[in-house]
Amino acid sequence: MKSGTRPSLVRRFWPLVALCLVVTAIVALGSLGNDELQVTITEMMIRLVVVVGIYLFIGNSGILSFGHIGFMCIGAYAAAWATVDPTWKQMMLTGLPDFLQNNQYGFLPAVAGGGLLAAFVALLLGSAIMRLSGIAGSIATFAFLAIVQSVYSNWESVTAATSSIIGVPTVVGPWVAWLFAIGALVLAYVFQISRFGLMLRASRDDEVAAKSSAVGIVKVRLIAFVVSAFIVGVAGALYAHFLGILTADTFYLSLTFVTLAMLVVGGVGSLTGAVTGVIVVTVVVEVLRHMEAGVAVGATNLHLPQGSQEIGLGIIMALVMIFRPSGLARGREVPWPFTPAARRAKVPAV
Amino acid sequence: MNDALHDLPPGIAQAQAAELVAESIVVQFQGLMAISDVSLKVERHEIFGLIGPNGAGKTTLVNCLTGFQRPSTGRVLLAGEDTTGWRPDKFRKQGIARTFQAGRLFRDMTVAENVEVTALGLGMSRRAAHEHAMAMLAWVGLADKADAVAGTLPYTDERRVGIARAMVMSPAFVLLDEPAAGMSDAECDDLMHTIVAIPKEFTCGVLLIEHNMGVIMGVCDRIHVLDGGRTIAQGLPAEIRSDANVISAYLGMEG
Ligand SMILES: Nc1ncnc2c1ncn2[C@@H]1O[C@H](COP(=O)(O)OP(=O)(O)OP(=O)(O)O)[C@@H](O)[C@H]1O
Ligand SMILES: [Mg+2]
Repeated sequence: MKSGTRPSLVRRFWPLVALCLVVTAIVALGSLGNDELQVTITEMMIRLVVVVGIYLFIGNSGILSFGHIGFMCIGAYAAAWATVDPTWKQMMLTGLPDFLQNNQYGFLPAVAGGGLLAAFVALLLGSAIMRLSGIAGSIATFAFLAIVQSVYSNWESVTAATSSIIGVPTVVGPWVAWLFAIGALVLAYVFQISRFGLMLRASRDDEVAAKSSAVGIVKVRLIAFVVSAFIVGVAGALYAHFLGILTADTFYLSLTFVTLAMLVVGGVGSLTGAVTGVIVVTVVVEVLRHMEAGVAVGATNLHLPQGSQEIGLGIIMALVMIFRPSGLARGREVPWPFTPAARRAKVPAV
Repeated sequence: MNDALHDLPPGIAQAQAAELVAESIVVQFQGLMAISDVSLKVERHEIFGLIGPNGAGKTTLVNCLTGFQRPSTGRVLLAGEDTTGWRPDKFRKQGIARTFQAGRLFRDMTVAENVEVTALGLGMSRRAAHEHAMAMLAWVGLADKADAVAGTLPYTDERRVGIARAMVMSPAFVLLDEPAAGMSDAECDDLMHTIVAIPKEFTCGVLLIEHNMGVIMGVCDRIHVLDGGRTIAQGLPAEIRSDANVISAYLGMEG
């Protein structure tokens, strides 16, 4: 390819196609397995939606957000408000507005509502904090997470507080989750190669130079923040319809830790990294979980102590940070496989 | 004139402002007077030299003229309009572009993308931005490096990409902060050929900061000299060369 010619459409979208193929293969293989595997795969796909959503903001803007699980919480509850049986809501959630309390909506409108409410909250929050740079903005997102947590675990008449919302229809299985995972991948990739994605990544590399390049950085950050919150809100709605029961403490520090660990392990610099992180961390956590439960060796049942999952994950994160600080994917996307080896060798040398 | 450099998509106008004025600018950093009461005017068809010893306040003044530094007192006027309160991206949209002493490329992005970003910021479509970026890179002689990652470029090429990025969509004024710093004489000569062509090629005024007196005397129409944040001389190159204040400031620097 001549230097500076725009790559063909197929080639520009190749990383997306490759990632979708990998994700599809995982779900197809998983769907052959037992019930336990199906549950694992479903949860993995939902986490993929979350991590891809978080990546869309953190990866392109370079601003660390600790608050995205708050958007997941908002999306989850909004969707549950729509799909739970009205007789239960009239009894338990008396603070809900009429249109939610007395009606029952379908799964898709509920998911859309969850995403939109999260996006709307992100618009308000982002308008206030997107001009903060560096650590100040990140701390503000953490404060947001804490506020959401405290509101949702105390607002008895709307969230049922500590007594949980029950009876959310469990309609999300591996293939439903897969569909949303593909949707999240497409949205994130299209955003990343769009004009806004390019301008945002410029502001990540050098904020001052981006401003001097006519980039309104507050605006491009805000766009990414809102789209990213929408995706994570949708993931929350999916999670609600996977679990069937909602408690606010599901959406707090440990989920924040796991999702950020996925992003960091895979590499925050690329969509390929986000997907790699979800896959690798899920496998590691599953293995450790099985070992916590115990492995029979002859007559004895060997098992790791409780908490090994978190410790193992922490160790893996530390190792990746030490040996591959930009993550397993090193900030790159899946390379185009059809470049002759001779030419490929030449490319980095330009 | 090279048409590819000026082919703007319909609906996108070239900046029209005819003069850029600094009016009694004062900049104070916690008690330190970085600039004290400096006024200057850059016109659209000239190369305006801004010189002075290290720490004279040249970069700080450029920051004021591009929205990166708010003057403690004084104003910046673009074609008579007060720019107080404009953000840096607004300055660029109104036709005032700059480069940075430190280069400041987007290191993880390709050379072409580095230039495209400005075109996108100014409202071009993806496709138009790419074509325009390629024309700008051809102009600075880097078309063959369009796909290279910016962080891997040698120093001299980095400067050229910075200039290509600044010249996107023909700004009315471009402020170049030591574009030749650290270059050999031959490289510097090369670069100056490119810079000297800017006023005619783009109908764009140039403010040039440069330490090499030979270069400054050779390419500038007018020169403004700062020392310790004050204007110590301004005028034609011949006048500056024989100015007693300038001579002592530079002797002081060397001695
Ligand atoms: N952000 C800042 N905070 C405090 N002092 C500053 C700041 N920026 C610049 N200064 C001081 O203001 C003075 C002018 O600095 P400036 O960078 O404008 O000089 P310059 O003429 O560009 O020098 P050089 O030739 O070294 O680039 C210096 O004394 C510098 O230390
Ligand atoms: Mg300087």
